[in-house]
Amino acid sequence: MMPAWLAALNPGWLMILVGIAALFISHRQIRQVLTVGTPIAAIALLVMAPHEVDLLTAEALDITFSFYRVDSLNFIFGLAFLIASLLNAIYALHTNNPRQDGMALAYAGAAVSASFAGDLMTLFIFWELTAITSVFLVLQAGTRAAYFASMRYLVIQILSGVILLDGLSYVWRYNGSLSIEAFQSFSDPGAIYIFIALGIKAAFPFMHNWLQDSYPKASVVGAVVLSAFTTKLAVYGFARLFPGFDALIWIGAIMTIFPVFFAVIENDLRRVLAYSLNNQVGFMICAIGVGAAGIGNPLALNGASAHAFAHIIYKALLFMSMGAVLYRTGTTKASELGGLYRSMPWTTLFCIIGGLSISAFPLFSGFVAKSLTMSAVAYEGVSDAGMVVVWLMLLFASAGVLEHSGIKIPYFAFFGHDSGKRVKEAPFNMLLAMGMAAFLCIAVGLPAIIPGFGYQWLYSLLPYPVEASSYQPFTLEHILTQMQLLILATFAFILLKRFALYPAEKPGTILDTDWFYRKAGYGFVQWSGTVWGKMGPAMSTIFTRLAERTFKRLESAFSPRGEIARGGLSGGASIWTAVILAAVLLLSFLSS
Amino acid sequence: MSNDTTPPARDTSGRFVKSAAEKVNAMSRTPDDGIHPMSRVLFGWTEKKGIGGIIFWGMAALSVILVLLDLVVPRHEKIGIANAVGFYALWGFGAFSFVVLMGWPLGKLLRRDENYYGDLSGPPADIDPAIADRLNAGEPKAFEGEE
Repeated sequence: MMPAWLAALNPGWLMILVGIAALFISHRQIRQVLTVGTPIAAIALLVMAPHEVDLLTAEALDITFSFYRVDSLNFIFGLAFLIASLLNAIYALHTNNPRQDGMALAYAGAAVSASFAGDLMTLFIFWELTAITSVFLVLQAGTRAAYFASMRYLVIQILSGVILLDGLSYVWRYNGSLSIEAFQSFSDPGAIYIFIALGIKAAFPFMHNWLQDSYPKASVVGAVVLSAFTTKLAVYGFARLFPGFDALIWIGAIMTIFPVFFAVIENDLRRVLAYSLNNQVGFMICAIGVGAAGIGNPLALNGASAHAFAHIIYKALLFMSMGAVLYRTGTTKASELGGLYRSMPWTTLFCIIGGLSISAFPLFSGFVAKSLTMSAVAYEGVSDAGMVVVWLMLLFASAGVLEHSGIKIPYFAFFGHDSGKRVKEAPFNMLLAMGMAAFLCIAVGLPAIIPGFGYQWLYSLLPYPVEASSYQPFTLEHILTQMQLLILATFAFILLKRFALYPAEKPGTILDTDWFYRKAGYGFVQWSGTVWGKMGPAMSTIFTRLAERTFKRLESAFSPRGEIARGGLSGGASIWTAVILAAVLLLSFLSS
Repeated sequence: MSNDTTPPARDTSGRFVKSAAEKVNAMSRTPDDGIHPMSRVLFGWTEKKGIGGIIFWGMAALSVILVLLDLVVPRHEKIGIANAVGFYALWGFGAFSFVVLMGWPLGKLLRRDENYYGDLSGPPADIDPAIADRLNAGEPKAFEGEE
């Protein structure tokens, strides 16, 4: 039995405290022991924590704060965050950067703390902390582009926090409580604000571009760290607050589709992964929306949670492999890469495992996770024709995932046209982190030959473990249909390459919705500035003349040399006397 | 930890953990010609002559077999259309081809100059110092956007 103070120690808080301390520890080895050791200690704390109990509460300003509450939904998100944090720490061992180490740990801690928050105010505080800590990971790249991107990132992240605060103010005003409970409809007080705040962080369509703007410009390590937390915290937020909201089904389905088209023409492979992240979060958002009564709800929420867990690991793995390529070659542009398998075979192998996982090949984690969502949507499709369309969209997006993450990333980086780059294999610590992530991708995706292991281990962690245990991903027809989808799609790639129909990778900037604020918005502000620059002096002249004239009039009337002071009923003085008399009469009339 | 710029002094430090890590690192070290020994083991087969044809026809055969298996494996899809023979195969092939072929018009429509936003920068600060030095010395092109 754990002592009470230890049981009340939120693993996220531990990570934040150690992260802040790490900022000031210049001794590299000590800092690295902390960055690797703390996530391990935090995982131990979480595993031992009792569920469904407020482990740390406080009362202030009539609000009951619940800082640490574990249940079956946030457990799996918290665990995935902590595992990602451990992998990140190992991946960063070759660096000597206290700020990056500290902020990465604190950022992960903030995401963990937010997911264990039992009230909206605590959620808000750590929500904002994820924004503040993560921006340093973009800044650590040290380039001009990263600096500007980080400022845009910060503005959008803080905006999300402000809208969340707005929403929770409504909740507090009308409900008198801030405890985290699922909303029933958009007409609930504050629901729409909180929905938008979460939507920004989940990178909903048209709110998504902060992600593609900032993550690919982050440092090698920074992009890996960033990929795990913010969007999945938002996914958790939706699962907690908006399960079964129909809007999420369509938003999620659109999210799975549109990034696929951007990813195919994007040249920067880290940016391709950022689009891929959008697409994957779309599956989770869609699953959360499929929260209808009956079997749909547990199956779909299980799907979203399992997908989030698997995704955090394989997405980190893919970002790690591209980070290793960037580290050794100085670029992730597909047009400058190719043939790297000769120099980086281990990185190639791990990247392929990440690609197979995200594409949901049987025996890899994506398969057992995505199957839950697809089955839940298909189940709804029996009674709802609209859901058939959604199911077809998700199936379309599944082929799209294979295109950009399963084939494009490994093919153009490591195979394809030989760039002639002969570099060293990634540093050992990077390979170790990638190897661990690859192991998890396979371990979680295997059939449960030994009961309780393989996919059953993952399923036992899901919010509805009983329902999950009755779900069988490894049926003959399921494996067959999935292989048909993936193998025929792969064959399409081979055909298109053979007949030179696959568009060549070209350097360039792909326009996306950030154009509206980076070009159109910025242009408008510049234009306004120019207009103001020209109008300003002209208007100043008018105002100055007007003020001068008014002053002269008043002075000629009231100054010691003025007409009133001179006495006598000259024209001006008589008028002013009449005006003042009228004012006095009016005042006395009104006050009587 | 262990990286490739490790000074030789670390090899003789005598500490067990460090020497073990160094050994593992040495096993995965790329020789001067840049061809890693493991690459031949893992991916040497991709360089064999005629492998393109083998992959092409192998995948074609596999595709046909997978579609034909639909005729013998009983399916119980919730969504009616999915029960059609070869549905998943067709959908996968069609979706993939559509996405890739859309890349042609979309590329023309949306691709702009690399420095379109005027913030083109080089790689991040934490890349391999050896590569960073080389990029700074020999290939200033990547830094054109820098002031």
